[in-house]
Amino acid sequence: MTAATIFQSLASGLLMGLLYGLIAVGLALIFGLMDVVNFAHGEFLMIAMYATFFLFAYLALDPLLAAPLVAAALLVFGAIVYLLIVRFAVRAKANAGMVQIFSTFGLAIVMRGLAQFFFTPDYRSVTHSWLGGKTVSIAGIFLPVPQLAGALVSIAAFAGLYFFINRTDFGRALEATREDAGAVALVGIDKNKVFALGWGLGAALVGLAGAVMAMFFYIYPDVGASFALIAYVTVALGGFGSVFGAFAGGILVGLVEASTALILPPSLKSVGIYAVYLLVVFIRPRGLFGSI
Amino acid sequence: MTPLLEIRGVSQRFGGLIANSDISIAVGRGEIVGLIGPNGAGKSTLFNLIAGVAPPTEGSIWFDGEDVTALPAAQRCRRGIARTFQVVKSFETMSVIDNVIVGALARTTIMREARRKAWDVLEFAGLAARAEVPAADLIPSEKRRLEVARALATGPKLLLLDEVLTGLTPIEAQSGVELVRKVRATGVTVLMVEHVMEIVMPLVDRAIVLDLGKVLVEGRPAEIVRHPKVISAYLGDRHAVGA
Amino acid sequence: MDKTFARRRRRDLITALGLAVIAALVPLFVSDVYVQNIMVLTLMYAALSQSWNILSGYCGQISLGHALYFGLGAYTTALLFTKFGVLPWFGMIAGGLISAGIAMALGYPCFRLRGHYFVIATIVIAETALLLFQNWDWAGAALGIDIPVRHDSWLTFQFTRSKLPYFYFALALAAVAWLVTFWLEDSKWSYWWRAVRDNPEAAESLGVVVFNSKMGAAAVSAFLTAVGGSFYAQFVSYIDPESVMGFQFSLLMALPAVVGGIGTLWGPVLGAVILIPLTELTRSYIGGSGRGVDLIVYGTLIVLISLARPQGLVGLFAPGRKGTAR
Repeated sequence: MTAATIFQSLASGLLMGLLYGLIAVGLALIFGLMDVVNFAHGEFLMIAMYATFFLFAYLALDPLLAAPLVAAALLVFGAIVYLLIVRFAVRAKANAGMVQIFSTFGLAIVMRGLAQFFFTPDYRSVTHSWLGGKTVSIAGIFLPVPQLAGALVSIAAFAGLYFFINRTDFGRALEATREDAGAVALVGIDKNKVFALGWGLGAALVGLAGAVMAMFFYIYPDVGASFALIAYVTVALGGFGSVFGAFAGGILVGLVEASTALILPPSLKSVGIYAVYLLVVFIRPRGLFGSI
Repeated sequence: MTPLLEIRGVSQRFGGLIANSDISIAVGRGEIVGLIGPNGAGKSTLFNLIAGVAPPTEGSIWFDGEDVTALPAAQRCRRGIARTFQVVKSFETMSVIDNVIVGALARTTIMREARRKAWDVLEFAGLAARAEVPAADLIPSEKRRLEVARALATGPKLLLLDEVLTGLTPIEAQSGVELVRKVRATGVTVLMVEHVMEIVMPLVDRAIVLDLGKVLVEGRPAEIVRHPKVISAYLGDRHAVGA
Repeated sequence: MDKTFARRRRRDLITALGLAVIAALVPLFVSDVYVQNIMVLTLMYAALSQSWNILSGYCGQISLGHALYFGLGAYTTALLFTKFGVLPWFGMIAGGLISAGIAMALGYPCFRLRGHYFVIATIVIAETALLLFQNWDWAGAALGIDIPVRHDSWLTFQFTRSKLPYFYFALALAAVAWLVTFWLEDSKWSYWWRAVRDNPEAAESLGVVVFNSKMGAAAVSAFLTAVGGSFYAQFVSYIDPESVMGFQFSLLMALPAVVGGIGTLWGPVLGAVILIPLTELTRSYIGGSGRGVDLIVYGTLIVLISLARPQGLVGLFAPGRKGTAR
């Protein structure tokens, strides 16, 4: 194992990590907003990937072009999920935790079943994209262009999110509702609207990730499950409720995954991430940057 | 006769904020003592320190002749310190009597005995008619009563009441006062944090006033109410007479 | 008051006895092997869900990684039997004790975790164990362990001629899980657990040592789940990491309790009786090629139940019980 190999792995890990962060930030946003973990988050990613695939297959749209469309579609979808399901889940008086967990879990199962039913379990892939198959060499390290683009999209999304939350009215309303949903109502802000849009935003972000990932991952009904766990670990690692935590957590997870793959057999690469998660939460039960 | 509860030089710091500063007080057996003071005086912090929610930054807490400073809440309960919560924390999915049984189990692990004790306490607290009702379905004043009943079921020597009389209608408050008197009559010492002066002052034997994390004065209610320092702490210096 | 309570308890016991007797007689009228298989699985899941319910229902510590204990039970039995010739009966006990021990060891760090962090930790731990087993050559790695069925006896707990002995064992297991829950319901444990579930801070103030009560629940729950795993190993005679430690198993252990009534005595049984035949039947009649209809059906069921009736369906069948552990 040479230094070059190591740097290569870490570089790929970093790129992947930025994507993990993008997947995770939607989760972090929703949780920070209303204390609900979306256990169907992986399935949101899955349908984003399928949507990208179908736009490619039927309209010959390159994933990069499809990305904004997919994000918009997921925005609507996320809002609908809130209005039809989550809104009722948070009203539960007793067993509240269990209701939130299982209502979104049930949704995840339904979505997976629907995907299997409509799309069959066959693996799909976006066979020709503008960036597909191209690599670029930076300082002697070969980086696949799709993944690089994905990382850039992620950084742009985080920057956009930062700007949105801190500089726009809606972003501030989001923060305010997060702090005190009751008080916000007194100022004339409809809590439900804010929550619905919060879910929409969270879904849109993972939609972006899905569109990008469609360029270099196989698409099948259960694809969400594998990334979902990484997303939860990333968010929990960074601390639920922290957008920056999702970003940092994602990078950390990506790097740990890459490092683990250097040392252990490939099938065990997730063990590194899991171990780090457990280590972090055992020492800091609120995650690295968490406020909840 | 040693006091039941002794706070010796207790301070509590949260980062840079000093919530309690060098507080030393004592509560005698069978007393009803009121802990009062304006908002931010540090009453809740002190209350939680006595209850064992967190250890103090400095100082020690002695209960019934024993240093309990290092003991967590569950152990303090076993020693005889019981408390209610300002924001009621009932076990919502459990019935009223089941809530109280949890408390009774602090004294006995024989179910029949625990059930009997719980029932007795419910009757004492006037909630017997609501025994099988899920706690979530109680009205607020009943929930307060349940808090007290639950704490009583643990067979405490000292009962810490956290603003149990705040926000009640006059009739409910009077009923609450009766309950506190009944509790003391059974031999339990009571330390209560309160805001509503008109209700608390006629009830307590002694009042301790906190302000800005320190003990301001303590004494009989009649003296406290007229004390210039107390008046200025609550209302500002302009209102103090003969300061 | 004590009298009505005693009467309720007696009624529960008599109902359970009656149901057990009826269940025991059913195989005499049903000879279709496929249906018998469903019945065995239903009973097994009833037992597993009842065990899960102890930690996650009564004590409120939602675990979505219980497949860990199931798998440990299965592997302990299978390994002891195939490598050392130890009878499955001892394997069962060993698996149970190992699982209980690991559950408590994990409890030390895990029970400090709140809500979602805890759930995710359980998922992560089970996944890690699965990955480790997949790479453990001595235990068969990804190919798993094949348990050669050479006998047809209760001694080695293998039966070739009929599924009925497995059925009766599963029935006994479900009965034991139910009885353990029944007994614990009227003990200090049930009160401590529910107090911890509803409000740990208040529980502490009433003298409940939250950590100890969680440990107790974890140990009992893990032990019983592992015994179920041991049973499964003997029932199917072949295990591999994916099939006994997979996440879908963890989910399947939880769902009957959620549907029937989480934290109740009868919930898991009711949920299993509804869910398991439903999933098996939809899978064979509609979703044969894995078309996902079974997922759609029970996913929708989960969503509806958790939103519309989070206390589960058990209250519909017994108006006296409010779905709380009473």
